[in-house]
Amino acid sequence: MTSGATALHGAPVVSAAGLAKRFGPITALAGVDFEVGAGAVVAVLGPNGAGKTTLLRILAGLARPSAGAVRYAGGADRRSARRFVGYIGHATFLYPQLTARENLHFTARLYGVEDADARIAKLLAELGLEAVADRAAASFSRGLAQRLAIARALVHDPRLVLLDEPFTGLDPVSADRLAARIEALRGAARAVVLVTHDLARAAALADRAIVLVGGSVAFASSGAPRSAGELEHAYRSALDAA
Amino acid sequence: MPAPLPNSAVDRAANALRLPTGILLAVLTGAWLAAVARAPLDSVQGIIQKILYVHPPLAFAAYAGFALTAIGGALFLWRGDEAWDRLARASAEVGVLFCTLVIVTGPIWAKGTWGRWWSWDLRLTITLLLWFVYLAYLLLRSFTEGSERAARFAAVYGIAGLAVIPLNYFALDMAAGRSMHPENLQQGSLGAGMGWPFALGALVCLVAFAQLLARRIEIEALRSALEERVAGAPTGLERSS
Amino acid sequence: MNTLLAILWKDLVSEWRSRDRIVAMALFSFLVVVVLHFALPGADPAEVRRVAPGLLWVAYLFAALLGLNRAFALELENDALSALAMAPADRGFVFLGKAAANFVLLAVVQFATAVVFGLAFALDLVPVAGPLAGVVALGSLGICSVGTLFSAVAVRTRYREVMLPLLILPLLVPVLLGAVSATASLLQGEKVPFASIQLLVVTDAVFLIVSFLGFEYVLDE
Repeated sequence: MTSGATALHGAPVVSAAGLAKRFGPITALAGVDFEVGAGAVVAVLGPNGAGKTTLLRILAGLARPSAGAVRYAGGADRRSARRFVGYIGHATFLYPQLTARENLHFTARLYGVEDADARIAKLLAELGLEAVADRAAASFSRGLAQRLAIARALVHDPRLVLLDEPFTGLDPVSADRLAARIEALRGAARAVVLVTHDLARAAALADRAIVLVGGSVAFASSGAPRSAGELEHAYRSALDAA
Repeated sequence: MPAPLPNSAVDRAANALRLPTGILLAVLTGAWLAAVARAPLDSVQGIIQKILYVHPPLAFAAYAGFALTAIGGALFLWRGDEAWDRLARASAEVGVLFCTLVIVTGPIWAKGTWGRWWSWDLRLTITLLLWFVYLAYLLLRSFTEGSERAARFAAVYGIAGLAVIPLNYFALDMAAGRSMHPENLQQGSLGAGMGWPFALGALVCLVAFAQLLARRIEIEALRSALEERVAGAPTGLERSS
Repeated sequence: MNTLLAILWKDLVSEWRSRDRIVAMALFSFLVVVVLHFALPGADPAEVRRVAPGLLWVAYLFAALLGLNRAFALELENDALSALAMAPADRGFVFLGKAAANFVLLAVVQFATAVVFGLAFALDLVPVAGPLAGVVALGSLGICSVGTLFSAVAVRTRYREVMLPLLILPLLVPVLLGAVSATASLLQGEKVPFASIQLLVVTDAVFLIVSFLGFEYVLDE
């Protein structure tokens, strides 16, 4: 197991080569190579329709690529890899009639989480949801729902965490909390793939950044972006070049 | 460089069958029409009875068609090769045509022989149910967004539809009283001189089915290759950078 | 197995808290019974007794279709369906959990409907209540199995509510015929013919197997 925040690239948790995805005549991804290791945060940037969500969904095992292969650590296939993937997407995946606690328990049972009670109590505390733990999810504000969605994604302690534009619509305090959470994941040797439009956050958090344009990788940084400005410059150049 | 045409077993079979079945169809149809014309007139039913040479043969094709649809779907789910889905879809589209003809010729025969436009006898009913399943299959395909998803949904439905045919048979058999349908037309029960036109009719239908199927598969394969080309997929193409 | 229970629990609890599906199903069922009564004006009791089994099952089918359509609406609300697709749980058991929940809800509605039906058509169902429950259960098993499978399909097509009946009504003919035949015998005070039970059991088995295995492919993207 890799240790600490200094291990930028531990063993690859997931690696994909030549990923392509077609939806009829539309190409969402056209030959993308991708890899993320334990304890690393990779930021995926790009304009809308560039294929970022498609890439995440393939990594999550939700979609099958039209071409290319995805390999998970330990040789797990798509089916068994589900066990260690956590996904936070545009939708919250919550059941409105169930309370926060019940939502988490349900997910824990689906994933066969051992010692679920302790884990859930810990997550509720870490995400500041204790006060609303026994309120129905339907009554949650966007921020609360987002936090619960994050807790839900982390219930089974996934090794690979995929986040699709998680900062959108979050107030600054919640956003800071989320950023801290991502840092904590990195510290715990988890692999994080972060799709975001927020260049500042991406620069602050990422160990590597790639820019997707029109389904291909237009830019891939060699290391951590040194500043938001540098990242923005790289982003804009990639857009212009494509 | 043009995108390579799909070259799976299904496509190769379709390509191989196209010409031979076309020729065979022309020849057989000629022979069949001649045989039908020469066949003796049934003393009771009159000329309407000649539908016998059309109606059951069409039914064979309709059922064979659905079997192919279901099997193609199952193989698609198992193997993931979209060529099997092409077979399933083509078979459904051709099969529904034959099934419709069965439903149309049935009442014509019924009116001519029993004086009623429709009867709920076992075979006609079960074919009617098959027709509904066919239509639901095709509607499902057109109403589902995403061709891969549509193929998968349709495959599952096709299998369910095939499984229900024997179930329907037993259900209707159990529920019905005496069937009005002419009893099983085995070798002996066909009158003299009716054997050949009937057998030829069956052959014509099956060959016609195969011919239409082969053509439909080809169209689908071409469409698929065209889509791939438009999408600029990296398979066998230089990508425009 | 854990998955099955988890999903069953989730669906029933959600339904209990909102009660929207069950109320709609029950109300709709009662209305159908009333409409059926109006559809047979001045029919003499013996005639009614003959067609009653069919009418009852028509009401049951309508209720089932309504309930099944809503079954996956719950999952679509926050895209929970994708979450289920991502779970490592065996999808066959996800299916069973959902089908079991549908079965329970349908059973409750069917019971209430039977009471209303008995009242509306002056039929005494109490003496045959036990066997009738068995027959209804067998019928519902068939309805809920393919119904659950294809409602997961229908809910992701363009005309969701319409798609489900189009898909499953041709498939449900064996269930309907077996159930109506058995119910008719019960109402006539006769023994249920073995053939009907056999038909129902075989159909249920086939449908359960196809649905259990097919659900795997239906949950994919």
